[in-house]
Amino acid sequence: MSLLEVENLRTHFISRDIDNQIRVAQALNDVSFTLEAGKVLGFVGETGAGKSLTAQSICGLLRPPARIVGGSVFFDGQDLREMPEDDLNAIRGDQIAMVVQNPRTSLDPLTRIGDQLARIHQTHSGGPISTSRERALEMMEAVGIPDPTNRAKSWPHELSGGMAQRVLIAMALMNNPKLLIADEPTTGLDVTVQAQILDLLKGLTERFGMAMIVITHDLGIVAHYSDEIAVMFAGTIVEAGPVVDVFNNPQHPYTQSLIASTPEKLQIGGSAKLGGQPPDLYNLPSGCPLRTRCSFAQEICATPPPRRQINDTHYSVCHFSGKSPANGSAS
Amino acid sequence: MSFSRFLLRRTLMVIPLLLGVVFITFMLIRVGGLDPVGQLAGPTATQDEFDMIREELGLDKPLWQQFLIYTGNVLQGDLGESWLSNRPVLDDMLERAVISLELLVWGIGLGALIGIPVGLRAAFRPNGKFDQTTRVLSLLGFSIPTYWLGLVMIFVFFYLLDWAPPAIGRISLMIFPPETVTGSYLIDGLIAADWEAAWSATTHLILPVVCLAIISAAPIIKQTRAIALEVLSSETVRYARACGLPERTVRKLVFRNSAVPIITFVGTELTGLVGTMSLIEYVFAWGGLGQYGLNAIVRGDFTAVQGYVLALALFSVVVFLIVDIIVHLIEPRSELN
Repeated sequence: MSLLEVENLRTHFISRDIDNQIRVAQALNDVSFTLEAGKVLGFVGETGAGKSLTAQSICGLLRPPARIVGGSVFFDGQDLREMPEDDLNAIRGDQIAMVVQNPRTSLDPLTRIGDQLARIHQTHSGGPISTSRERALEMMEAVGIPDPTNRAKSWPHELSGGMAQRVLIAMALMNNPKLLIADEPTTGLDVTVQAQILDLLKGLTERFGMAMIVITHDLGIVAHYSDEIAVMFAGTIVEAGPVVDVFNNPQHPYTQSLIASTPEKLQIGGSAKLGGQPPDLYNLPSGCPLRTRCSFAQEICATPPPRRQINDTHYSVCHFSGKSPANGSAS
Repeated sequence: MSFSRFLLRRTLMVIPLLLGVVFITFMLIRVGGLDPVGQLAGPTATQDEFDMIREELGLDKPLWQQFLIYTGNVLQGDLGESWLSNRPVLDDMLERAVISLELLVWGIGLGALIGIPVGLRAAFRPNGKFDQTTRVLSLLGFSIPTYWLGLVMIFVFFYLLDWAPPAIGRISLMIFPPETVTGSYLIDGLIAADWEAAWSATTHLILPVVCLAIISAAPIIKQTRAIALEVLSSETVRYARACGLPERTVRKLVFRNSAVPIITFVGTELTGLVGTMSLIEYVFAWGGLGQYGLNAIVRGDFTAVQGYVLALALFSVVVFLIVDIIVHLIEPRSELN
């Protein structure tokens, strides 16, 4: 049994416009993936592709008008979708921990960080506060915050961005989670700090045996730190597999263009192949959502693309996967 | 900056502000043509008598000289004499300030006590039944004219139902007011253990206080709801939920994070409703500072008007100073400046 099994997850934004007509944005369409304990899975894709929304759907953190309309989420054998809110709350921050972007605005500005760390531990352990405080100092030490005893008395606004991100990671580690979801953990940080934070996360997952989902739009991060990769576009995973396979043999035109658009590749002389806007989620094109932007698109692309296994673990959702004109020109 | 230095700086900053207020009210009144001489002299006065009074009051001097004399007097704590009461304006106002403050604090205190929890509850379930109901009620509170509300309340609760005492003053005419300590009959009655007087003062307080509470609760509900909704959609609350904090803790967090803007808003309400206070005092014959000011304006008692405006300015300054101090105490990010 895998640690996390997500099957055909569909999340829609359902709202009414001024004419009181129901408008539906199909933000997640049949997202399926599994994650084994101790592995690192990287989600990449452009803004609005549904990476963060996938994470929020898994944890039950959606807010209206977003709503899960189909699919299932099994974590450690438990059905998270059918679970009462209180039980889910007991799992969040405990077995599934999140590291979010914008750490400084996410921390409670009116509580000292040591107290916030202790609070998340005590909430879930129900033990004495002194134990939680000790644990807070330990974890601050573990994430490389110097002088934890004094730092615990700091207010969130007194921290630098990197330090605040370390606090968030310490928060996530407080309860020894089985799964850590890092949603753009390094956005807005200096490049040197980015590397430190990512090395720290990677080291901690190995040390504590956690599984991790990293959400990013930086392919370099995924290449360096993940075991597996899932490429998202318009609310679907268009290609997924072990990092080595996907990077060496990208099958989906979108993945190919993403890889071709990294700064290094652009410098060598490759050109970005896919321009254009993300598709309108209120009015997705029939068949392959990419077809309006894809240079290989043909008539058949108006029908739903099949999921083609390239090998046991690597698949791509494209009509031409494994045999396509796309492949021919990409190699 | 240390706390005492902050207080000192804020106090010093008040001086130019008050000088500005003195200048503007002084000039506005003169330009506005409030001339008390005609009323002072009476209908049968001769030109000589007019000139005499004018000279006596110093009104024959050039405007700038009048202003300098007035400012000099104000700096020495002399706000001039009211010709309506023939007493120093300062004494008149000091006597009435407590009376008005009593009404204002009870009224807005009750308004905040109702408005803040209601606004918070509405925000926790936006567009729910509770939210919809309170939205209609607060709209009503916004749109009802103050004096009309006061009159209707007197009509219903005194005339029709006879639950409330007649709206004349602050205590029953049949009861001796308790010995003056604070100036508030209720508190003085309690201090003197004069239960009868305290009770009578309370019954007289109820209608105007409720009237003021209704007027002030409406905007407080609306503002609290908006503030709490914004906090609820903040990343802080989002993250708190992701941490699996229980709903009670999240609500406490929302409340604490809304506190600063709510307190600031109640502060502005407190200073903003002094105009409304005048009307309520007038309707209930309260005899406080608001009624004094209104009367002075209507009757052209310009020294009293100047003193009244100055007192209101001072009141605003003090209220905002207190708000700043409270905010500083609960908000670690605030800097004293």
